[in-house]
Amino acid sequence: MIINTNWLRQYTDFDYSDAELGDRLTYLGLEADPVPNPLASIENIVVGSVSNVREHPDADRLMVCDVFDGDKTRQVICGAPNVKNDIKVPLVLPGCQLPKGKVKKVKIRGVKSEGMIPAEDELGLSDDHSGIIILPDNAEIGQDFREHYSNRFGSNFEIDLTPNRPDCTSHLGVARDLTVLTENDLKIPDTDFEETGTQIGDHVEVNIHDPEACPRYATRIIKDVKVKESPQWLKDRLKSIGLRPINNIVDAANFVLMETGQPLHTFDYDRLNGKEINVRMSEDGEEVITLDGEKRELDENILLICDAQQPVAVAGIMGLENSEITDSTTNLLLESAYFNPARIRYGSKYLGLQTDSSYRFERGVDPENVIYALDRLTDLIVDLAKGEVCTGLIDNYPKKIKSPQPTVRFSRINKLIGQKFKPDWVVDKFEKLGCKILNKDKDAVKVKSPSWRPDLVREVDYIEEVIRIYGMEKVKSSRTIKIQPDYSRNDRYNFNRVVRDKLASYGYQEVFNNSLFSHEEKNFNLFGREPIKVKNPLSRDLAYMRTNLSSGLVTTAANNINRKNRDLRFFEIGKVHDLNFDKANKADEYEHFAMLLTGNLEPVTWKYDKRRTGDFFDLKGDIQGIIHYLTGKETQFADSGITKENYNHIVKIVVEDDILGYICQLNEELLDNQYNVEEQKIFAFEGSLEVLYKHFHPEINYIPVPSYPAIERDVSILVNKSTLVGEVMGLIKNNGGEHLQEVQFYDLYQGNNIQENKKSLTFNLIFQNPERTLKDQEIDQQMNIIFNQLKKKVDAKLR
Amino acid sequence: MDIFDDVKDSIDQFRKELSDLDVEERAIEDFRIKYLGKNGIISDYFNKFGQIPNDKKKEFGKLMNSFKSEANQAIESLHQKLKTKQTKQEFFDYTLPGVKPVEGSIHPLSKTMDDIISIFQDMGFSTELGPEIETDYYNFQALNFPENHPARDAQDTFFVDDKVVLRTHTSPIQVRTMEKQTPPIRILAPGRTFRNEAIDASHYCTFHQIEGLYIDQDVTFSELKTTLYLFVKKYFGQNVSLRFRPSFFPFTEPSAEVDISCFKCGGTGDNCSLCKGSGWLEILGCGMVDPNVFKSSGIDPEKYTGYAFGMGIERIAMLKYGIDDIRLLYGSDKRFLEQFKQL
Repeated sequence: MIINTNWLRQYTDFDYSDAELGDRLTYLGLEADPVPNPLASIENIVVGSVSNVREHPDADRLMVCDVFDGDKTRQVICGAPNVKNDIKVPLVLPGCQLPKGKVKKVKIRGVKSEGMIPAEDELGLSDDHSGIIILPDNAEIGQDFREHYSNRFGSNFEIDLTPNRPDCTSHLGVARDLTVLTENDLKIPDTDFEETGTQIGDHVEVNIHDPEACPRYATRIIKDVKVKESPQWLKDRLKSIGLRPINNIVDAANFVLMETGQPLHTFDYDRLNGKEINVRMSEDGEEVITLDGEKRELDENILLICDAQQPVAVAGIMGLENSEITDSTTNLLLESAYFNPARIRYGSKYLGLQTDSSYRFERGVDPENVIYALDRLTDLIVDLAKGEVCTGLIDNYPKKIKSPQPTVRFSRINKLIGQKFKPDWVVDKFEKLGCKILNKDKDAVKVKSPSWRPDLVREVDYIEEVIRIYGMEKVKSSRTIKIQPDYSRNDRYNFNRVVRDKLASYGYQEVFNNSLFSHEEKNFNLFGREPIKVKNPLSRDLAYMRTNLSSGLVTTAANNINRKNRDLRFFEIGKVHDLNFDKANKADEYEHFAMLLTGNLEPVTWKYDKRRTGDFFDLKGDIQGIIHYLTGKETQFADSGITKENYNHIVKIVVEDDILGYICQLNEELLDNQYNVEEQKIFAFEGSLEVLYKHFHPEINYIPVPSYPAIERDVSILVNKSTLVGEVMGLIKNNGGEHLQEVQFYDLYQGNNIQENKKSLTFNLIFQNPERTLKDQEIDQQMNIIFNQLKKKVDAKLR
Repeated sequence: MDIFDDVKDSIDQFRKELSDLDVEERAIEDFRIKYLGKNGIISDYFNKFGQIPNDKKKEFGKLMNSFKSEANQAIESLHQKLKTKQTKQEFFDYTLPGVKPVEGSIHPLSKTMDDIISIFQDMGFSTELGPEIETDYYNFQALNFPENHPARDAQDTFFVDDKVVLRTHTSPIQVRTMEKQTPPIRILAPGRTFRNEAIDASHYCTFHQIEGLYIDQDVTFSELKTTLYLFVKKYFGQNVSLRFRPSFFPFTEPSAEVDISCFKCGGTGDNCSLCKGSGWLEILGCGMVDPNVFKSSGIDPEKYTGYAFGMGIERIAMLKYGIDDIRLLYGSDKRFLEQFKQL
């Protein structure tokens, strides 16, 4: 909301500079940002007076005029329709830098022009280009235009108003809050119109059909008004906060809205059917055409103002075309009301229509200010448009809004803030805020809240007022803070940290991807999760909660590869969702971790000729490493049995009996077609962080280092090509006896000297007994057992 | 003259020459030939073996063997020295690049979250987590956001259905914790949150928050101020000052927003692009837990008081590292991520 300093000074005195005022308001909880003055950096514009306007001899649409700048008279060419003799205008002197360019002395079709008379858009004041700016008659010729402008319009603050402070949606309201600080008077304008017309009751009857939605509705009627242009002062006020003047009636209503915070509506009385105003809820399917020309269909929960036959306004939000003020309007019905905030907010949301009016009603206007605002508007209209005010007013107030009456204990202020406040000081401030003091003793004060502060309901709301007025800045910081000795670190959160650090140490870079994704990517969904749809997504691409992290990682990798960053190792840790979540275990969300590997494993170096390209087994090794690091357990790999078109092979990872996740290679055709990635293989892993955490075992139990020597044996065998190395490894381990410590597979050979359907495998075996030195014969025997089993089970031949 | 004396003289001579000898290939070879060559001095003596009286032969043999062995060792040692000397002189380019290990990186958002958590952990805060898809009750109702209240406008919400939302803040964790723990409660609630806002340089539909909550019998606003002072000084630096100004959050009363002095311009605001000339940077919201929140969690607001604070991780990270577009954090560009290796 925009607050204008000149306007503000109309209601209270203060001697703050603009910067100080901004700070004061901010410290009061009305966060105020100065609105930059568009003229701040524009020099060389002065106030000039126009004379001798004549047609350009050689151009149809251009006029030539003399402009006196206080020093000398300059000839200026002007093409605006509204240029005429004896007006005052801003005169842009040659050399002036305007937003759209520099003004120079020019010759247009043989006639010279020594300056320019600007329209508002040319100075960046608005986007109005309908004509030149005409200044009030009292403008001082020769004055720097910036000075003229700032004297006339003051400066503006944009207030980022919190929803609890409807009282500050107006200049009077902000002024009132300032008076609590300055202790100066609040100057509320008087009203002094006379009621000379017939009784209002002869002209209209107000029926409130839903008092809960409309607790108060007041109206006056003014006859024989003259709709015309507003006077300069009113236009200036509205323009100062960026409102466009329309006519004296509409402008007056807008002015009182911005002055008092009470939205007001003016109907053309003669366009209303019957002498009735009915305030009722809409019917489902009812249609109205609002002032903005939009046809809107309503449900059954929108509050309407109706005449005897039809709706004439959507209450508190916008009037309808059928009762709008026109240039020929003569009789007015004015509306000032208090509507239920939640109802107005519902309607505003339902219609997607937020107006200056709905903004205030949905926050809660001052129910006790309804009549003042109505009278203030009446007074202003009588001043501006003459007219005769009907005698009396209708004030239909079936549901009195009661002000809360909380008791504030002084001890409680101390308990919550941690600082003592003098009861007298506190009570004084409550009075200045507009509270009525109902009762007061040494322990507590009972107050009646001001009607304009719907946020002051409870004791705690008043405690906030105490430090708001005192200044949060001044509240002393405690000298110590308490620390709980029995706090616990959250192992689950710290576990994620450990996983992250380890993956980073393996050369993986952590990424954060959006949790929202498009349904199509569910093909990367190895865990078979059903995506959850968002009802009101930003776009179709972001309509579902992700079921997996791999989709994001693949996109991420593709984006990087397409930017020529080809060597990538990425990981992400994050939540994924499943529509059919596991209710039994309350696992409505799953935490996954995913890794992706592609391109070369190390950068080009001078030292090694060949760079290693990462593949399935590098990723597999990293996963084995991380699992062993976190759990101390061995990882099993098994054929997943899953076939999906996006993957070349999918291998299941099992720790003890739990499926941890899947490792796979992405289909190259898919990468080419959908991600524009060619000639590069991508390997991915996705797993459950919960399963990993289940096996998390950070404790290390030291086993004494053996003091007896180990015995190593190598064994090379020939087996069929289709034999799994893992199976051979398992056979060796299972038959290695109690002293077999370790088996390393270190050579795979197929080719020359070996039958085509065979391959050669070489293992290194380490035997050890912690209590004694092993004998060669024992090992020989064991090796025989192993070899016999290999021969039997996988038809192995010793090489 | 006795041949024995000759040999001894020769040994002395050998030792003298050895000590003066340059460690050069030629000199060493000449020296070797002079003493150990086929016709060298030692060979000469051995050739005279026949002339030695029988009773002295043994003594002579011993002397000569010791001479020969000494000479052999000396030559070998000279060769060793020569080799070392040659190695030292060999061209060695120590400026060739070292072969570095491939290192990964932690995302700046993780890093920021961890750093903040560490500071509060030292002050005795533990960490609680909660679901990203929340009920309207935990996300709004229990936090004192009435239905059809403008306070909900500040949080554009993604809905899964009428009563289920993508959490708009991590505050639901506060309520969930209050339901299952009894005071004193002192927790941090980090996590991912969602707002239905168009994506631009300063908005993203997914972002992260971290909130703190402390409830006990005499928690005060004054202590909240000190706690946040400690945090800000530790995280942003000792020279940074902060200010509290009144604000509004449905779940706290009183509520405040906290600004820190701009660390780019030192709080002067002069031509500063970071604080846009104001000298201040808004970093977090805080306040005393609203009694209505206590009531919805079954905690007696007469007996207990508490404070809560919350901040956006993206905002903190962007301020801290000078990142000017939030989309970079979710863009996963390797060249961006790589810059956070040193963290």
